[in-house]
Amino acid sequence: MPWASSQTLDRIKHAFRKITIDTQPNFVCLNVEDTQEITNILKHLKDIEDFRYFIDFHVIDFPKEKDRFLGQYILVNPYTFERLAVKVWFKSNKLPTAKEIFPGAKWAEREAYDMFGVEFEGHEDVKRMFMWEDYKYFPLRKDFPLGGIPEQKLPSLTEVLEGNTFPPSHDYDIMHTYVPNMKDIEKTEKSRITKKGQLVLNWGPLHPGTHGTMWFLFDLEGEHIIQTDVILGQLHRGMEKIAENLHYFQFLPYTDRMDYLSAVCNELSYVQAVEKLANIEVPLKARYIRTMFAELQRINSHLLWLGTGALDLGALTVFLYAFREREKIMDIIEGNAGFRLTSAFLRIGGVHYDLAKGTLEVAKYFVKDFYSKLKEYHGLLTRNRIWLKRTKDVGVITQEDVYQYGLTGPVARGSGVAYDIRKIDPYAAYDLVDFDIPVGDIGDVYDRYLVRMEEMYQSARIVEQCIEALEKMPENEPYVNKKHPAVIPPKEYVFNDLEDMVKSFRIVVHGENIPKGEVYSSGENPRGELGFYIYSIGKSSPYRLRIRSCSFYNLSVFPKVIYKHTISDAVALLGSIDPVVGETDR
Amino acid sequence: MASSINGNGFITTTVDELLSWGRRNALWPVTIGLACCAIEMMHAAASRFDIDRLGMIFRASPRQADVLIVAGTVVNKVAPMLKLIWDQMPEPKWCISMGGCASAGGPFPTYSTLQGVDRIIPVDVYIPGCPPTPQGLIYGLLELQRKIREKKVTRYEKAFEEFKKDLSPELLSGIGV
Ligand code: SF4
Repeated sequence: MPWASSQTLDRIKHAFRKITIDTQPNFVCLNVEDTQEITNILKHLKDIEDFRYFIDFHVIDFPKEKDRFLGQYILVNPYTFERLAVKVWFKSNKLPTAKEIFPGAKWAEREAYDMFGVEFEGHEDVKRMFMWEDYKYFPLRKDFPLGGIPEQKLPSLTEVLEGNTFPPSHDYDIMHTYVPNMKDIEKTEKSRITKKGQLVLNWGPLHPGTHGTMWFLFDLEGEHIIQTDVILGQLHRGMEKIAENLHYFQFLPYTDRMDYLSAVCNELSYVQAVEKLANIEVPLKARYIRTMFAELQRINSHLLWLGTGALDLGALTVFLYAFREREKIMDIIEGNAGFRLTSAFLRIGGVHYDLAKGTLEVAKYFVKDFYSKLKEYHGLLTRNRIWLKRTKDVGVITQEDVYQYGLTGPVARGSGVAYDIRKIDPYAAYDLVDFDIPVGDIGDVYDRYLVRMEEMYQSARIVEQCIEALEKMPENEPYVNKKHPAVIPPKEYVFNDLEDMVKSFRIVVHGENIPKGEVYSSGENPRGELGFYIYSIGKSSPYRLRIRSCSFYNLSVFPKVIYKHTISDAVALLGSIDPVVGETDR
Repeated sequence: MASSINGNGFITTTVDELLSWGRRNALWPVTIGLACCAIEMMHAAASRFDIDRLGMIFRASPRQADVLIVAGTVVNKVAPMLKLIWDQMPEPKWCISMGGCASAGGPFPTYSTLQGVDRIIPVDVYIPGCPPTPQGLIYGLLELQRKIREKKVTRYEKAFEEFKKDLSPELLSGIGV
């Protein structure tokens, strides 16, 4: 996506004299000097300049600076598709809240409080987002260690019950970080609720219908939900902190484990961001391979959504059918990457392996077969009376919600917002293939269902075109740009070439320094826009890596949409938003 | 079953063996997915691998289940809730730790992750992998069956102790328990 044009920036500069503009190749931002003015600037950007699509808000910690914390908004103009970042320093740990202007900022600010301990004036609900109440630390601050602070003896019960073995069954540290007890959890729950309804219903955290470990608290008036609280953090593993402690290439497998249903797509977003930062060209073959696998993964992910979404509404058959196709896709991925789910197939600068023999034939057969399978799914659901009753006019999300809450992916497109990174900021080989973006029109669960079904069809088309292009390519086309100093050469070269071996050794051990700078780059995941913001200070690991999670923002609209609806609609709505906890919590 | 069939079609066996036979062939796991490993657990239950064939049916309620498959990363915040589920399961019960995260924290040695679920729940079988394939999970379940057969009475089988108390001593000595 293009960053804000110089005309736009001039206009903004004209309206607010006191801001400075910082233009980098992959990043354009406004630096706001006066913290109190930020509200006006955001309002201006939203109303006058049409930067009304809220994408992200996050914080960076600079312990040595006077004001320490730097907040950053990323906004998009949905008409011209310009992107713009706005930076502002916290004044004595405080910033005016932006939740009135962009409701999507509400959760983002809570997260910022949880991770950095910064405060927001006018935000009445700044509570812990991922950790529990009474948690003493702010983990993303630079002075907090990755491993936390061990303060509790927690022996392995296997050893306690079975006795010590020599040598020990496993090597572990008996001291552990503080593990909360039921009281802490109850306190977290209570602090969240100002009870409004007659009855509070708990849904989750360990409930099959919540697709993971989300925890919903519904305040019910009769059968209708009048208030919803979502407690997250039951899978908060500290991804952003991990990234700061690893070399760039080492973080790649972790991206697989965020949105574990679309591993290749996550990797693609990540390697892209690093490649932009380090200026790495990717060979054409790798671009096609990436596109093909990302689209296979998209089909794979949508199939899981279809299966579980239908299962939640009582259709078990679809689940078994969808998994049948998933197995086939996983076979293709496993054949090439060596792993079924968390594949770690891409590399910075290319892909890990060349295509395995026979991949193209298998993929070709799969796609040919898939069209008929897709018809079968349509036959099961699209005109099914029960399905229609459960999904039509349920969970309607308006266009305005899409912009203000920063919803992306099929959720946005179901409401008629044709926002697809693959088209507006083509990456990999998306500019070389032909495909359409389906959009819905009412924005209900049924529309999102149709959008995803059509997306699978379009993905299959893309895969077909990639296969065609790859077939035409000569066998020994390079699949990784191994000339670039930051790219680890593939194994086949490492074992046969001294130079490559030394290079591989050097990068693996010391990492490769990436030039100073900032980048925000995103990719279109099956669930929406997955963005990576990297702040590099010229070291081999990022100073700050922010993951703009699509599930997180998509979920944030849930309490609003479900207001005055029933529990059964909540199940349908959640299924259609399709969040993955690994990514909401990171 | 370690038993013999005589000419009249009777089977003679021990109560111990009978109980363990019943238990190990109807392991009902709780449907709890925590993270990525849960997807592979779902795959084990779905079309290709279909662990129904082994008498394993996923139950949504811990009260109806006897195996807890900890599939995924256990973070500190979810630990007490998981422990609650474990406590709600009736005896006898077993726990399988699936994947690197559940076994020892896996790739997440961080401030928020529990470094091994065995610190809050006694684990019977550890399955390595990140994630283990469905075949791996099935192998783990078969190993659990073997363990149940071989270990007979485990230390948390209060129910079995109760059952033995109810039997008269003569009968007990008669069947060799
Ligand atoms: S072991 Fe690996 S696949 Fe399993 S939950 Fe942990 S990170 Fe995910």
